[in-house]
Formats: sequence, structure tokens, C-alpha cells
Amino acid sequence: MTAVVDAPSGASPETAPEVGAVPTFDVTLRIRRYNPEVAGDEAYWEEFTVTAHGTDRVLDAMHKIKWELDGSLTFRRSCAHGICGSDAMRINGRNRLACKALLKDLNPDKPITIEPIKGLPVEKDLVVDMEPFFASYREIMPFLITSGNEPSKERLQSAEQRERYDDTTKCILCAACTSSCPVFWTDGQYFGPAAIVNAHRFIFDSRDEGGTQRLEILNDKEGVWRCRTTFNCTEACPRGIEVTKAIQEVKRAMITRAF
Amino acid sequence: MAQTVTPSALEAPRSPRSPRSRRSTRTNYELYGWVFMRASGALLLVLIFGHLFMNLWVGEGINAIDFAFVGGKWSSPLWQTWDLLMLWLAMIHGTNGVRTIINDYAERDATRIVLKSALYLAFVVTVVLGTLVIFTFDPCPPNAPAELLASFCTA
Amino acid sequence: MQTHQYDVVIVGAGGAGMRAALESSGRVRTAVISKLYPTRSHTGAAQGGMCAALANVEEDNWEWHTFDTVKGGDYLVDQDAAEIMAKEAIEAVLDLERMGLPFNRTPEGKIDQRRFGGHTRNHGEAAVRRSCYAADRTGHMILQTLYQQCVKQDVSFFNEFYVLDVLLSSDLSTGEVADGEPVAVSGVVAYELATGEIHLFRAKSVVFATGGAGKIYKTTSNAHTLTGDGMALALRRGIPLEDMEFFQFHPTGLAGLGILLSEAARGEGGILRNGDGERFMERYAPTIKDLAPRDIVARSMANEVREGRGAGPNKDYVLLDLTHLEPAHIDAKLPDITEFARTYLGIEPYTEPVPVYPTAHYAMGGIPTNINTEVLRNNTDVVQGLYAAGEVACVSVHGSNRLGTNSLLDINVFGKRAGIAAAAYAATVDWAELPEDPAAYVVGEIERMRDQPVGERVSDLRRELQESMDLNAQVFRTQESLTQALADIKHLKKRYGSVSVQDKGRRYNTDLLEALELGFLLELAEVVVVGALAREESRGGHFREDFPTRDDERFMMHTMAYQRPSSTAGETEIRLDHKPVIMTRYQPMERKY
Repeated sequence: MTAVVDAPSGASPETAPEVGAVPTFDVTLRIRRYNPEVAGDEAYWEEFTVTAHGTDRVLDAMHKIKWELDGSLTFRRSCAHGICGSDAMRINGRNRLACKALLKDLNPDKPITIEPIKGLPVEKDLVVDMEPFFASYREIMPFLITSGNEPSKERLQSAEQRERYDDTTKCILCAACTSSCPVFWTDGQYFGPAAIVNAHRFIFDSRDEGGTQRLEILNDKEGVWRCRTTFNCTEACPRGIEVTKAIQEVKRAMITRAF
Repeated sequence: MAQTVTPSALEAPRSPRSPRSRRSTRTNYELYGWVFMRASGALLLVLIFGHLFMNLWVGEGINAIDFAFVGGKWSSPLWQTWDLLMLWLAMIHGTNGVRTIINDYAERDATRIVLKSALYLAFVVTVVLGTLVIFTFDPCPPNAPAELLASFCTA
Repeated sequence: MQTHQYDVVIVGAGGAGMRAALESSGRVRTAVISKLYPTRSHTGAAQGGMCAALANVEEDNWEWHTFDTVKGGDYLVDQDAAEIMAKEAIEAVLDLERMGLPFNRTPEGKIDQRRFGGHTRNHGEAAVRRSCYAADRTGHMILQTLYQQCVKQDVSFFNEFYVLDVLLSSDLSTGEVADGEPVAVSGVVAYELATGEIHLFRAKSVVFATGGAGKIYKTTSNAHTLTGDGMALALRRGIPLEDMEFFQFHPTGLAGLGILLSEAARGEGGILRNGDGERFMERYAPTIKDLAPRDIVARSMANEVREGRGAGPNKDYVLLDLTHLEPAHIDAKLPDITEFARTYLGIEPYTEPVPVYPTAHYAMGGIPTNINTEVLRNNTDVVQGLYAAGEVACVSVHGSNRLGTNSLLDINVFGKRAGIAAAAYAATVDWAELPEDPAAYVVGEIERMRDQPVGERVSDLRRELQESMDLNAQVFRTQESLTQALADIKHLKKRYGSVSVQDKGRRYNTDLLEALELGFLLELAEVVVVGALAREESRGGHFREDFPTRDDERFMMHTMAYQRPSSTAGETEIRLDHKPVIMTRYQPMERKY
């Protein structure tokens, strides 16, 4: 919201103003609305035009709509800088976080289309039911598994061993990857990239002893073998995780184990 | 006490669209399938290019192909095995590929069953017929004009 | 209305809430209620690290850590609590490592540590490596690790449930309950976002871990959801709030946006420069320069800008210079924050300095608790069964200014203590009597808000509040500016009575909840401003230009703010009282770095 509201005149120097001179422009958002309580079971498109500043993100524009035009527009958001993973949505056909997509990078000359992420049941406007997503996550046992007595100090791990699984520790469970996967779209039975990424994080952690169990779980018919390496997930990940690579590494670990 | 009623039109929002019906299928079936696809793919490259080389390149190339040429090849156990392997691998590879495509894109269970049944039927027919032909092929059918047959038939 | 019954109900699923849940759920029947999904909590936005005197890379001990915490808080810290925190910090870090947290490592494979603002060796001699970290996403790793452990323990979560009331055995809000009389908690009332249904959670113990209230300001590093719900609910039910005038402004927010760039940037060698390219912190804190505590750095930055030495076309920010660091070093230690600069300002930190300006970051104050995290209803009496931990609470380990990394420590140390204490209490007592018609207040509030046909917009009021707070109650404060802020808030509170929401539905009505959150913000802003007006001195995060020095004579004490009915019927006012500061080893000295 910092960006959509101009500082009042006479602001003392300690209020933080805009960075440099930023031009304003009009942008149209074409949003897929759905509210069975009011508008029946059909989703429909609605367009809103708002004025935005150069550093505004899609989330700022959506807030402006919610706060100034239509309070019933519903979406999840929290931190607004790409760390909490609440606001994954389909923006111009690509899964992104609304708080990390700058309007000026999206060609504001054309309407920007905004839809809920695909493959999860839509509840209202851009809000989807996340439960199936988290159910898959829980199934891969996303926690450190060890045996024997707890050490009195920390477990040792070399910097290289730590680096081995660094990429997949970045996951924020926003579901951008899983809901960009064509295999997941079909029937929602596939574990999905996010669950596999989180399994990877532990399988390749030198301290963990549950790798075999996790590999067995992902050897399921709905597990890693359904991955078709379309790279949608890697492209969708707002944290820059090499998701497809992680999935391939899990496959390789299974083959090494089987032969 | 104040009563908060849930309107009847509002179904419980937490029920997933298709409840997870994941039966535990923790066999290595999909793993072997995945490995088979890669291994058979590599092998098929050799088999197919070997086949094309023999048929289209060696000697007079494409002009040499006639009944006698085929008859000559299939009288040798090497080429019988080669073609049999090619047939089976290609059919399994292709069928498995189409199976995964059906799994990925056919959303309704009924559609899946119909498509897969058709696929498996086609597979069985082609493989059985092909195998039969390779093994029961007679290079020297009686009463055929001699100029069409391989040289060893007249011997 | 649905009724649930749990021994312990934890409100909030950030670091403190989940740390408490891990202790409590193993002992008694526990539920965690969160207005978000647990992994969305703002603990995940913490970046730099978590200090503990592990002495993995250089000599250190917890006593030095205690001293730094006390001095950093400008001696308003309760020293018994600070000792506990510094001592238990070591076990807290090791606990997290054993739960699987991927800390960065030393060459020997131990947890690596780095420098952080205000953390020194031997009582201020020089900066010390004390902060245990995982790149610049330590909070993210803590949140994920705690959630993973909750999954392992099969903790019961109620996600996207908004707690809107806490039920007590006596009504404290009138101020008529005598000191010493027993008051116990009996549960909470929550609103289910998905359906609009009201849920009554009956509980023997309730733990508040709802986090901060940064959204009273416009420029803030806080999430949109940090609206001080827990603090405001306690205040409404007659529980005081302690030291709310102390709000931390983090020096390095992205200019204009408020997005946080960790202090770790300076811990790793980053330098603040003014518009002339001068390393101005050398003038303000000659010994530890850019690694001075946050209040000092933030004030120095604001002062540079005010005196015309800012950078940029409007000279309204300063620069965080990382250009002298190796790109590989930046990538390894500060990957996320450099990404923020690229994404949001289009600045390449390898080659260009990043525009930064102070951003509202952390509420030092909160619901007063003792060292066992029991909530106090006055200077001495606890509310039986009610606990608070994390930013919502004021133990007080942060005094008037929190040191960097001590919040991640706070949530782990006191979250754990709260979980244990709440479970132990629940195991020994019987169910407390529920008030008659326990959900009446919440149902009334919701219906009033939803049924108001036309009225003012929530967003207009919120914007006016936030702008007034940024203008009048930020880094620099005066009697005049604070009086203005108070007048603005009072006016806004009146107008709040006539706001209306557009969304009248029950399903996922976030419009309605934003309206309720605005009510919390208005009440908390009032407490902040009233406390700031009364504290006629400058200490830690609270700087009065008309009283620029610390006044231990009059103000070496905690502020206790009570909301009580005012003489005008139906309205409330803030009454201030005081609580002594607990001192054990360290006598107040002048605070120099």
C-alpha cells in the first residue's frame, strides 16, 4: 500500500517518499471471479482499471481494487514480499506470487489476466482449497528422521554436505510449482513437485536416516515417475529452486537403490 | 445463544475436489517402467537404424527390396530375432508411452478404461500377428513364379 | 456455533506458537489456532540469525550476551528475564539443530556464527560472532523446521480461524476486580474464515502467540496480517499492555517500500553512506559504527536525511553499500535480500548501493508476562491459565530497544517455556466455568459490522491512521506531534463506528476481517501514543526531541496501559500506571557504542 498512496503535502522529511520520480500509469486487471454464495456456480471475468506507480506490484493493484472499488474481491496475502507464499496466482497464464510480479514488467498496455492457481478446488475468487496440497506434503514425512540417542551438542555437518540440499530448503510451500504441473491438473492424485522438493530436502541431508522410507513413498505410482520433465515447476518457482532437477535427483537415487 | 447458521448453498469448503484415493502402490513397477522406456529407447535406436541401413543403404539400396529380399532376410535366424526384438520393444515402448499420456490427460475414469482397453487390444493384436508372421513365414511358397522368389528356393 | 474442548489452546502459529505446541501437544490435548496457514506466519520473514553464546568461532559466554541485551534495551530490560533468555539461548539453538534446521556450518562442521548489531565481547569491547544463521533466511528455516516437527507430532491445527475474544472468569475491563482476586481463563472464541461460522474453544490454558502490530504504521517491514490482534483482545478484556510506546524502526528497509534488508548485510561488511558518500555511522558510534543497535542507526539515518545529507533525487534516503564485497560472498551469505533489491527497486547490489530508510519493525511492548510467560493483569497478579510468548508478549527482555536476532531467540526460549507451563497448568486444574453466552460479544461485533448498510471505507481510515502514525509517532517524536496523532486517532475511532464492509457474505469474508483488524489497530495506536506522550524522555526506540536525554530519575520503569471505561458512556480511555524494572547485575550507565 506504500506505493499507491501519495504522501500528504507538508510531510516532514522522516516519512519515506517514493524512490526517485516514478511515473504513474493506468493498468487494467482482468480477474476471474467466483463466489457461489452470491453469483451462482459459474466463474466469470471482471475487469478493473486502477492507477499504479512504477514500483507497484500486482498485489498493490489488487489491494487498490479491494480497498477502493470492490471490497468483496478475495485473495490471500500476508508478507507482501515473497516469503510467506500466500499469494500464488496465475498471472497472464503463468504461476507467480502477486507480490513479486511488478506491473511494469507485465506490459500494462494490455489487460493483465489473473486467475486462481489450477488443479486445486476454487473456494472464492482467487482463494483455493490448499488442503490436498498440504496432504501430499505431509505424506512424504517432511521432518528429520534419526535413530539413536540425541547428541548433547549439534550434529556435525560439513559445509559441502550442507550445500548439497541448500536449494530445496528455500521452499515456501506456495504451491506455484504443483499447480503449474500438467500431470497434477489431471486428477490431483500426483504428489506434485512441492512434496518431492521437500522430500529431496531430507533425502540429501547427511543427518537424515529416513531416505529409504521417503524413496519408497515416492516410488508410488503417483510419485516421481509421473514427472514428465516439462519444467513448468522450475519456471513457476518464485524462490528460484531448480525443481525439475530436484525431482530428477530423487529418481536417480531410486534407480541407484533398485539396481 | 446466538445461532450462526451456515447457508445450505455453502458446501463444506474443505472437502477436496476428488478425495485422495491413493492406494499404496509401492512396487517397483513404475520404476522398472521408467528404466525400460530409457533402455528400450536406446536399443530401439540401434535396431531401427540397423534395419534402415540394411534395407535402404547396402547394395542397391531401396531398389533391392522385393519379396525375395524379405524372404531372404527372414530365412536367417539373426534377422528373425532382430525384427522380433524390434517389434516387441517398439510395441511395449509405444504402448507404455500412450498409457502414460492417457493417465495424464484422460480425467474421467470411464474414459481412461475405454482408451486403455482399446490400446491394450491393439497391442495384443499387433504383437501376436507380427510374431506369427515372423515365425511362420514361408520364403518359398509353392506355385509362385520363380522370378519372385529367393535364389535358394529353386535349389 | 461449534464447540471444541482442548486442554491447551495456542493462538497463533508462528515461531512462538509452534514452539509452544511442540512442548504442549506431547503432554496434553492441544489445538493451535491460526488466522493463516502456519507456514505463512511472519517468523518466516526474519533473516539474519539467532544469537546464542555457543562460542563456536570465538570466545563468548551467555553473561556477555545478557549484558548486551540489557544495554541494547537501554536498561529498561528486566534483567532476570534477559539472563534466562541468554542462558537458554544455547539449548534453544541446539534444539533447533537437532530438529533438523539447516544452519550454515564452520569448517569443522559446527554451527557457524556471525556478527550482529549490538552484540559484543566482554561488555562492549568489540563486535562478537554470536548469531547462528542459515544464509539470510534463518526465520524461514525456523518456521519450516518447527512446522515440520508439528507435522511429525501430528499437532491439531485450525488454519484460517480468527480468534476474536478471550474468555475470562471475571470482567477485568471495568477495573473493579480487586488485586489478589483469582481470575482464570476459560477459552477463546474464533471465527472460521471459510464458512463464517463461530467456534467456541473451551480450554484450561490459552497461550497467546499472535505476533506484532506493525500495521499501525504505513512504512513497515511487517506483514499485512500483523494487526496486533492478541494485544488488542487482551486490552479489551481489561489486561494491561506494557511499554507499547517503544517501537523499533529497522534501519534498513528498502526505501519507499519498507521491505526488510537484514542487519546481516552490515554484519557481513555492508556500510551505510549518506548522499556525500560518507560513512556517517563513524560519527554516531565510533567503536562499532554500522553495527550499533537499531535505534541508534535508525535515528542517525533519519538525522542525516533531515540535515540535508540524504541521497537520491529528493535526498530522502541513505545508501547501503555492498559493492566492496565479493559477489560470491554476497550470494552465499545474503542471497535473498539482494534479490529483494533487484526485484523491487531494479538495483544490482554487486555494483550499486541500495537505497534504504528506517521501517517500522518490532513492538518491544506487549502483554505483560512474568518469566514463566504467565500473563499479568496488574503488577503482580497473573491471570490463571493465560500465557503469552513472542512479539505479543512483553517479558521484558527487549526493554526499550530489541537487539537484532533476539526476537528469534525470544520466540524459541519463551515459546518453549509457555508450552511447558500451559500444559503443566492444564494437567492440574479442572475446567473453568464458561461465561454465560460466551460468543455474544463476537457475534454482536460481526453482525454490527456486516449489517451496517453504508458507511466509510475501512481502507480510508486505515490509511489515515498509518499516515498520521508515520508522520507523528515515528523515529522522532515531540509533544506536539504526538498530541496531533492522539487527536487523529480519537477522531478515527469515532468514525470507525460508522464503517461498513462491502462483502456481506459468510464465505472467506476478508473484507469483514480487515474491518475488525482496523479496530485492533486503532486501539493499539492509541496506547502507543498515550504512552509516548507520557514518557518525557528519550530511551531506546522512543526518541522525544523535546526531551532528548534519558531520565532515569522519572522514567526508569515500565509503562502499564489499561483500557478503562471513560466518563462518557460507552467510550474507553487509556489509564497509565507503572511497574518497576527488575535489576540484578547491571546498573544503568550511559549508552555509548
